[in-house]
Amino acid sequence: MLTEREVIATLEMLRNENLDVRTVTLGVSLFDCASHDADRFILNVRAKITRAAANLVDVCDEVGLKYGIPVVNKRISISPIAVAACGFSAEEMCRIAVALDDIAGHLRIDFIGGFSALVEKGFTKGDCALIEAIPEALAKTDRICSSVNVASTQAGINMDAVALMGRTIRRTAELTADRDGIGCAKLVVFANIPQDVPFMAGAYLGVGEPDLVINVGVSGPGVVKKAIDRARTNHPDMNLGSLSEVIKRTAFKVTRVGELIGRAVADKLAIPFGVADLSLAPTPNAGDSVGEIFQSLGLKSIGNPGSTAILAMLNDAVKKGGIFASSYVGGLSGAFIPVSEDLNIAEATRNGSLTLDKLEAMTSVCSVGLDMVAIPGDTSAETISGIIADEMAIGVINSKATAARLIPVPGKKAGDKASFGGLLGEATIMNIRDDGGSAGFIALGGRIPAPVQSFKN
Amino acid sequence: MKKIAVFVMGPDRPGIIAAVSKTLFEYGCNLEDVSQTILQSSFVGIFIGTIPEILSEEAVLAALQADVEPMGLAVHLSLTQEPAGEPTVSESFVITTVGSDRPGLVAGVAEILAKSSVNITNLKAVFRGTKNPNHNVMIYEVDIPQSLDQHSFRTALYNRAHELGLDISLQHREIFEQIHRV
Repeated sequence: MLTEREVIATLEMLRNENLDVRTVTLGVSLFDCASHDADRFILNVRAKITRAAANLVDVCDEVGLKYGIPVVNKRISISPIAVAACGFSAEEMCRIAVALDDIAGHLRIDFIGGFSALVEKGFTKGDCALIEAIPEALAKTDRICSSVNVASTQAGINMDAVALMGRTIRRTAELTADRDGIGCAKLVVFANIPQDVPFMAGAYLGVGEPDLVINVGVSGPGVVKKAIDRARTNHPDMNLGSLSEVIKRTAFKVTRVGELIGRAVADKLAIPFGVADLSLAPTPNAGDSVGEIFQSLGLKSIGNPGSTAILAMLNDAVKKGGIFASSYVGGLSGAFIPVSEDLNIAEATRNGSLTLDKLEAMTSVCSVGLDMVAIPGDTSAETISGIIADEMAIGVINSKATAARLIPVPGKKAGDKASFGGLLGEATIMNIRDDGGSAGFIALGGRIPAPVQSFKN
Repeated sequence: MKKIAVFVMGPDRPGIIAAVSKTLFEYGCNLEDVSQTILQSSFVGIFIGTIPEILSEEAVLAALQADVEPMGLAVHLSLTQEPAGEPTVSESFVITTVGSDRPGLVAGVAEILAKSSVNITNLKAVFRGTKNPNHNVMIYEVDIPQSLDQHSFRTALYNRAHELGLDISLQHREIFEQIHRV
């Protein structure tokens, strides 16, 4: 028998606090699609993905209806194309991206992630071709996400790749100039990219992963904020120790729901369940914001001194609650602070409360990095590379994933507004120091060696 | 051995379970399941157990009546049988309604459930309307046959709730258990 308290508390989470499953992501290995011929490869890929994902959207909707919890996004992650399609030219890589986009459209999939390369220690021919293809591929497609891992704690930072990605981001923005450089919203540069991320734009299926797998991304910043607000209303003298306990318990509940839905979908599709990613992922809807949590914890705005400490506590409490709730935890698993995708964070950058420097400091304790940050369109490639290098260093030294998803918005300057539509949201372009002062460092190239903490053998 | 069900009901007071179980024990009854509920000041208890074949259920009932009728309680005894046929395959859901009290709420919701062969396994509906008269809550735990068209059932239920001025939700029971129980 359920207690009235259990029932009412659960309903509150479901109905008023935006509890949903943010994404069910089907991982599909493409290694058995390999061919010497690009057209043949595309045929193989189309057949495999279509077979595996034919019912993905319907099953997610059916399970969502049964449990009364919507699965907001249905996505696919694939083997890194630079590996699966190694040997093809940039032009052929681009054709593959267009074909993938078409497959996603037919299957009603929101995004396919995995137009990706792993180059932390150096480039293969496939890596070079893929990175060369990125700007055009992202301009010609709507549903393809691309990621490039340029650094890891084990390998150090491939500064040649960092320099190349600065130029690639610029070019990607230029080719989607008519849409505020939206191509860059689908391109992320990583350090220590996890192999099983269900969230975009970083989702891809790692080489150690099974043939098919279901990974889920839970959500719930709104649930966490409301739980904090309720606790503080009922117990006005509550301190941070007790509040982190509230966050932990809430993360537990949210994760249980995500895992339940993920396993139900996996069972119905007869595909193994992989991991639950515990991230607090905001959307540009009121009441679904990570930034608002900072205000519930006493700051006037995210960006005020104290923000890094709050984010550290939040990230840790979310992990602790989630790890107990799920048998298999993976992906990024922490709090996201994507600027344009979070109304409150976007507002803090607009009114000057949150600067790029503070944002970078905060990324040293959260699970992603400089995410969905709009910067002036004329920012030099070297400055972009410099920002990426700093972000990669934070990840490499702290043995954690960090990423940079920077959008130089063509034709716009600091203070202007950039709009990307839908879940990608809109943001005010941030002011950055771009006086050419990073160019000399970026030009040096080479690989920054792995840090001492990587030597654990 | 034969299986009996004993129903005891009346005003609540200390000693009801003690009296009934003592008599049943003295008659060689082996209890299998016992459950009791108290609503406000009223008590209902159900005792299910087995008694020797040679014993007449009338004799057991007479002894029980002699025990509990002086306490102001009514008692009923019947033979029970295992349910015949294949059990219906069903899943457990929880229906929750919130709204103002008015006559006919339970009847209105239960009618839709009965029409769809949805079995109510537990119901808690408390209408006090003290603190907030618009916040009366009913919680139905139900078993929904797997063969039922969920979509049309949900539509019918939500339409009825709308007619009754109730805010309703239908959720799978597993959600509540996953969230609250370790």
